[in-house]
Amino acid sequence: MKWNAATVCLAIGAATFLFTGMKDHAQSLPVGHATDFTSNQYFEPPNERLVKMRLSGAEAMPLPGGLLDIRHLQVETFALDGKTQVIVSAPQCNYSPFDGVANSAGHMELQSGDGKIDVRGEGFLWRQTSSSLTISNHVRTLINMPGVTMAGL
Amino acid sequence: MKHIFFLMMLGFSCLLSAQTNAPVAPPATAPVAKESTKTKPPTEIDSDSADFDLNAHQAVYRNHVVVTDPKVRLTCEWMLVTLPQGGEHLSHVLAATNVVVDFTNAQGEKYHVTAAQAVYDYKVVNTVTNETVTFTGNPVVDTTNSTIYSEPMVWDRGRNHFVFTEPKMISKDTGTNGPAQKLF
Repeated sequence: MKWNAATVCLAIGAATFLFTGMKDHAQSLPVGHATDFTSNQYFEPPNERLVKMRLSGAEAMPLPGGLLDIRHLQVETFALDGKTQVIVSAPQCNYSPFDGVANSAGHMELQSGDGKIDVRGEGFLWRQTSSSLTISNHVRTLINMPGVTMAGL
Repeated sequence: MKHIFFLMMLGFSCLLSAQTNAPVAPPATAPVAKESTKTKPPTEIDSDSADFDLNAHQAVYRNHVVVTDPKVRLTCEWMLVTLPQGGEHLSHVLAATNVVVDFTNAQGEKYHVTAAQAVYDYKVVNTVTNETVTFTGNPVVDTTNSTIYSEPMVWDRGRNHFVFTEPKMISKDTGTNGPAQKLF
């Protein structure tokens, strides 16, 4: 399926409204369907122009209770210098925009910005406000750093 | 009995004499082959579940934790890792509950360490690297030739040896099954 620029803009606009306006407009939740969306969370002042976290997905479908069914979720967190700290991705998850919680029983992956730490697992709970991630099953972490000998442990 | 004790003392003194680094003030030490710091395959951590605090850069691994390294294997039930950032060295790991560490030194000697808790710390102070693993909670190191009890037991990786406190050792060469003998 191909999308023209106008469609993509509309979708992004709808998604942006979906993710940024919900807390203040909880009674006017859109019930539409969004594709290729991105939502940014910014640092507190005086760094309010810098992106702290970016949540994106290929598709978002509304679920009962204000939840969203997101396909191909990707969450990126950034440092104040703009460097990517962590990238979290999942083929599917349910996201609650009201409290910033995403969860899924399916596969997920986490990678550090420098690519040296890679985490995979099954089933997760992501809390946006505290930047915490719980992986509930089959967690595998790979730490790849030249010179680091985990022989210490 | 005196003969057994003499053999044990002899064996332990051999360990001490093989040490190539100047002792600081440890009651007893035993050498461990130093590892190279060249590029190596990734370290793998497996567990049933895990919690990541991305603000604090910490990970807590729970249940059936297994750390697999080309030279070391660690198992425990709970492990806190301070995640390195920007290519930094791994600085702090706390492993707890049924900690088991197995490794083989450069001479092919196998070490099997058990303890309730192990703490790995890596610090560089005034260009001096301090890299230690401190075992507590009835730590025991089992080697090819002996079994050594010490509380605590510190694996000083910077100086490349074990540091024991009031160690008790059973030499396997004697073939004795008797109780541990206090050496100091």
